[in-house]
Amino acid sequence: MKTKNYLYILVASICIAGCKPSFNSNPAPSRGSADFTRYIAVGNSLTAGYADGGLYRAGQLVSYPSIIAQQLQTVGGGVFNQPLFTTDQANGSGYVKLSGFDPATGSPITSQVTTSLGYRGAVTIPGFGTVNLLTKYTDDIENYGVPGIKLLHLTYAPYGNLNPFFERLLPGASPTNSTTYLSFITAKPFTFFTNWLGNNDALGYATSGGAGDVLTDKGTFGQLYNLLIGTLTANGQKGAVATIPDVTTIPYFTTVTVGAILGGVQKANPAAKALYINARTSADPADNTHAARPATASDLIVLTFPTTKIGQPVTVPGIPVPVPYGLTPYTPIDDQYVLDANEVALTKDYVSSYNSTIKSVAAAKGLAVFDAYTFLSNIKTSGLVVNGISFNSNFISGGLFSLDGVHLTPRGYSIVANEFIKAINSQYSSSIPIVNVGNYNGIVFP
Amino acid sequence: MRRLLLIGLALFPVLAMAQGFQVNLHGQKQVGMGNTGTGLVQDAASILFNPGAVAMLPENYIQGGVSPLLFQSAFQSTGSNKTFNNNTQIATPFTFYAAWGPKSSCWKVGLGVYTPFGGLTDWGNQWDGKYVLESLNLKAIYFQPTLSVKLADFISVGGGFVYNYGSVDLLRGIPVSADATAELKGSGKGYGWNAGVYIKTEAGITFGFTHRSQVDTKIDGGDATFSGSIPASLQGRFPAGTKFSAQIPLPSTTSLGIGIYPCDKWTVGLDFNYVKWRNYQSLDFNYSQPVNGSTLTSSPRNYNDAFDLRGGAEYKASSTVALRFGGGYASTPVQDGYVTPEAPDANRVYGTVGFGYKVAKKLDLDVSFEYEHLKDRPQTNIESGLSGTYKTNVLIPGISLAYHW
Repeated sequence: MKTKNYLYILVASICIAGCKPSFNSNPAPSRGSADFTRYIAVGNSLTAGYADGGLYRAGQLVSYPSIIAQQLQTVGGGVFNQPLFTTDQANGSGYVKLSGFDPATGSPITSQVTTSLGYRGAVTIPGFGTVNLLTKYTDDIENYGVPGIKLLHLTYAPYGNLNPFFERLLPGASPTNSTTYLSFITAKPFTFFTNWLGNNDALGYATSGGAGDVLTDKGTFGQLYNLLIGTLTANGQKGAVATIPDVTTIPYFTTVTVGAILGGVQKANPAAKALYINARTSADPADNTHAARPATASDLIVLTFPTTKIGQPVTVPGIPVPVPYGLTPYTPIDDQYVLDANEVALTKDYVSSYNSTIKSVAAAKGLAVFDAYTFLSNIKTSGLVVNGISFNSNFISGGLFSLDGVHLTPRGYSIVANEFIKAINSQYSSSIPIVNVGNYNGIVFP
Repeated sequence: MRRLLLIGLALFPVLAMAQGFQVNLHGQKQVGMGNTGTGLVQDAASILFNPGAVAMLPENYIQGGVSPLLFQSAFQSTGSNKTFNNNTQIATPFTFYAAWGPKSSCWKVGLGVYTPFGGLTDWGNQWDGKYVLESLNLKAIYFQPTLSVKLADFISVGGGFVYNYGSVDLLRGIPVSADATAELKGSGKGYGWNAGVYIKTEAGITFGFTHRSQVDTKIDGGDATFSGSIPASLQGRFPAGTKFSAQIPLPSTTSLGIGIYPCDKWTVGLDFNYVKWRNYQSLDFNYSQPVNGSTLTSSPRNYNDAFDLRGGAEYKASSTVALRFGGGYASTPVQDGYVTPEAPDANRVYGTVGFGYKVAKKLDLDVSFEYEHLKDRPQTNIESGLSGTYKTNVLIPGISLAYHW
């Protein structure tokens, strides 16, 4: 009897020690048909880790390329250097932080971070203006993300003197630089790349309300994109590219609405019937005629619109009394604050054309594609839940977009990194592990 | 003027019960035989298995047992290479039964105290699903006074009233900082019944039929506590002193059991159980004040009914020693898309062995061991988005003492 009891105990202890479930049989991380020895990231502010209206060290450290690179280390990826601001200048260009909520309206109150910045001086470029110069970073880098850059600037030699984020990466001081972005990123050999250029070719126009910038010509976009990908794949390198999101999916254009402003006006003055904007009369790119008209829900007001301007008395020539701003056809909201319905249509049309280019060039070269356009449009429509965390496209509460309403939170960037990784795995039969989105911050609340 | 705006954090809901939470460890003799017992008369565990069979017990019984349960689960996110094991914690389902009646009378009264539902899971605060669940400790203890009457030599019936004391302690992260947590802790009660009939046929085969009713367990005045680093600007959304209430339907179980006696030394048991989980459609929590903007959270469950099939045998090796073995298969009530880490449920198979020894004329010592294996289940939860594969094994040694006279 005793021996049997012992036998049971023995069986039980073997099981307790040996039956812990494991995942040994799962496929181990592998690089598939790609080579990640030197991975470089090409792109703009999104690639640089820009967030909350600025480029700063904490944001750089969680840029999506740095997250991808960290995961690539499990499949033979090499070092990945970023042009980090030093800890002494950790706040880089400065950025916006959330300092609270207005107790009456619940609106967020933000403040600009102005300490520990990374500026070294300023230079005036004739015909362009003053460029505030950032502290140089001229060591090796793999993250070539330059905030503000358009695909249009790919081969524009003076660009290194005009954009401080590019200037800081170049050895020469503005205005002596003549290195193009394309030759800069391809100067050293690499084996794999991600490319997310092109957003600013549409976004620059859109965020200026269609007033301060122009959309990059579709044909030019196609030529430059072909040149870029052709150069990046010249030695058989593999890579992943991303499409350009629909500008109407970002909170920069969806937070301050015509209805909300008008509702606020009508509380004080129920007689107010409409907001007036200075809008394009046609979606034809060649016809830039603007005229005042009542605003509708299809007209998008930018996040940075100072709503206190509404109703302020404006003196209009020919009218004896001051007229309230934004509330009459004589005093429409300025063009720069509104992406009107025709401008929205125009932007969407260009973005759609850019994305066709991106997808067809990627297909021709066998590159992985992260379709950011579709991904963000789906989140706009139905939200996203990851590991118990809910995301949507709303400002602040959505958790995905940072305080500038355009760029992402660290959680948002980790989601982008995972989407790139999934696209790469699917294209190159690799199994690069994804990261836990929950390990990254959302909006930082005070 | 910026339209506001707060805060679509996935909060609460969650607390699932599956067959993973139905605990079927109701007596060591029965566990050893693959958890069969509805159609058998083994000891006072019949109070649970079949109150109708209690009157057929040849003696009076007082007995107690415990089955320390080791729930070992592992999780790996889809596309990740990191495995998370739940922290090993030992749950202690227990049983106590007493059955008494005058010698050679046709009736017996009894009391059963047992734990038919429960769960103890601790995934910690470092794993991918921490905003879904960090830990859960769920207990249901049923108290069942019972009366059983022998109507004739071949048939007896019985029934009992069930009082349930239930408690829950659930902890999950709040995605506003790395260490902010919400804890729901409370206890409640519910009522139900258990009735059965037991039949001996001329062929020597015995039958049992039992229905244990649904027990709607209400938790009132539980404490919802928010701790860790919750940013000051959000603290108003997670107010101190919040109470919660919830109601959970612990499902009914209908059992049909058969006892077969091929020869003197052998007893074979077969059981079929049907568990009516379909009433568990959603898990709703009501709060005494708005939590993150709402006084109600509702989490879909959409459970299906589940069944299990069990078989087992006992061999009386001598007058003092019995050897038992058995096994079974249980289907999961949890549909794809609704699996949660509280109970990463899946269809499961299990095997049991048991050993009985007559320590003295009136005293039985029984030990049992059960091993359950849950099928791997790759899942993406519709509500939380938690996507990955669960692997679970359950190890359950057990021991009991029964005194009979």
